[in-house]
Amino acid sequence: MAHCERASKPLLKCIRTSYVRGLAGVQLPANRGFQSSAVARDEAQGETASQPFYRAPDPALVSSPRLEKKLLKQGIAPIGSRRRRVALQGSDNIPFEQLPYQCFQEARQILQADREEKLQEIQSVREKIARVQAVPTENVREELAKKSKLGALEQHLQHLKILADINDPLVKRKFEDGQGDMTKPVYRFLAKRKWEEYRRKILVQRITQMKVIPDVLAHCEPVVDTKLYFGRRVVQPGDFVTSRISATAPKLDIQMFEREEKLVTIAVVDPDVPNVETDSFDYRVHYLAVNVPISILNTKVDLAKLSPEAQVILPWLAPVAQKGSPYHRLSVFILDQKDSQPLNVADLKAQETNRDNTQLRTLQARYHLKPIGAHLFRTQWDETTAEVMEEIGFSDANVELRRKRVEPLPYKRRNPASFR
Amino acid sequence: MRLSPVLASLASVFRIPLRPTQSLGQPLPRSFSSTPSMAKKQAAPKDKKITMIRYFLWHPLTPRPLRFSRNRYLRHWTIHRAWQLYTSQQRRKGELELQRQWQAMSAACEELRTGAGDGGRLFRLSMNKKGVFRDMFPIEYGRLQTETPSKEGWNHAWKRIE
Repeated sequence: MAHCERASKPLLKCIRTSYVRGLAGVQLPANRGFQSSAVARDEAQGETASQPFYRAPDPALVSSPRLEKKLLKQGIAPIGSRRRRVALQGSDNIPFEQLPYQCFQEARQILQADREEKLQEIQSVREKIARVQAVPTENVREELAKKSKLGALEQHLQHLKILADINDPLVKRKFEDGQGDMTKPVYRFLAKRKWEEYRRKILVQRITQMKVIPDVLAHCEPVVDTKLYFGRRVVQPGDFVTSRISATAPKLDIQMFEREEKLVTIAVVDPDVPNVETDSFDYRVHYLAVNVPISILNTKVDLAKLSPEAQVILPWLAPVAQKGSPYHRLSVFILDQKDSQPLNVADLKAQETNRDNTQLRTLQARYHLKPIGAHLFRTQWDETTAEVMEEIGFSDANVELRRKRVEPLPYKRRNPASFR
Repeated sequence: MRLSPVLASLASVFRIPLRPTQSLGQPLPRSFSSTPSMAKKQAAPKDKKITMIRYFLWHPLTPRPLRFSRNRYLRHWTIHRAWQLYTSQQRRKGELELQRQWQAMSAACEELRTGAGDGGRLFRLSMNKKGVFRDMFPIEYGRLQTETPSKEGWNHAWKRIE
């Protein structure tokens, strides 16, 4: 091994010093064949000879520390590791789909033929849709039949669009790099599948095991991917969040997988407010905003920055748990408004003034909302709670709750009178 | 360690030397420790299956898992997808061919029933299943049907056992 390294050292040195040659390999024409690499390289070398490499170093290829520093001073970070960059200098830099592996190329041919077939099929389905739409209808029955036929065709078209691109390795690579374009059906499909494989399962498990589902709302089938951030920190569903951090309103990242614009209502409800008089728990709405527009590209919602006139009904109230009370579940619900029609904010502001004892079920029934996404975090008494309570003017800040002592039943007593 | 015959044969296949079992008759070498031996922690009995799984999984003769660079993995994935697509296309083609044959047969029967001009007599006669598989059995059904002939070809020396 050592011999081998020693032997290849001069060779490596040679490659490293002459990386103008490697640079030329990067600027290939796209339609280059496999065998013409030497020719293309010569051409490109002629072009770039006017400007030496050290004048304008390529961030993908620099390997000498001096040039790297120079680039960094200009505010451009070199791409990848130095080892990778050195390797790239000597490589032919053939694009991935042109790599000369026989089996791979054969496989690509098969996949491309299939893609052509799928594209033709898409074209024919589109034509069919146009034909069906052009047919006039006379009565309600024909109208319904046409509608259902169009719906089925549309679904088939979406399916074909996904099938046309699903076998492309470049699509897979782009999606894995997180550069997928969510306006394209195949990336939406991949993103949805990834979400449903793990994160949705976790979310559903948390909200059912912690009984948010029967406590706050009767049912919820999440269809949008919801992430919750306090500052820049992601909160996993069901995490404990310290009171200081949750004193400011969180940010939401609501990723839809359907291509439509929606107006949603966002509600944060705490079903665990202890009520000493009735010896039970009450509800409290910590946040309520309506008419929040979301779409596949417009995903970020900052709860603190929504318009206080047109959207926010009840502004953020910092969640606090009294000392001795069990943890509070702060459930975030994304509710779809009916037909994506805006709700009347003035009416809502007049009606929904009371945070306490407002159940989300009531709101859901009153405004015909449908839950499409959920999230959950928990809060409990910690060392920062007292300050936050003082800031928000919490009335019972100095009260510590104690569990009521339950007298054991006579036959469970350690030393009942009958034993003496 | 006493192994079941299956595991012992597996071990012999993979050329694993079985450890010599320590006979209980020999006295153990005495240690200098003053701790009474009863106080030593007893090793929990291990599940033999797990031991063997671990043994074979980490044996040098076990092939290593596929570890590819990213590009190579993507090429592998592409080829895999293409193969899956190709086989599914083949399957679909075969199914369609079978469907076509079946429909052609039923169309021919229908033609025989209505177009022969004998009131369907020929059709009825041909559909008659009387005596089928009663007197003799087709020789093809004498053994299990296979896709390819056997490796040895026809065994001419075979005689029925008297």
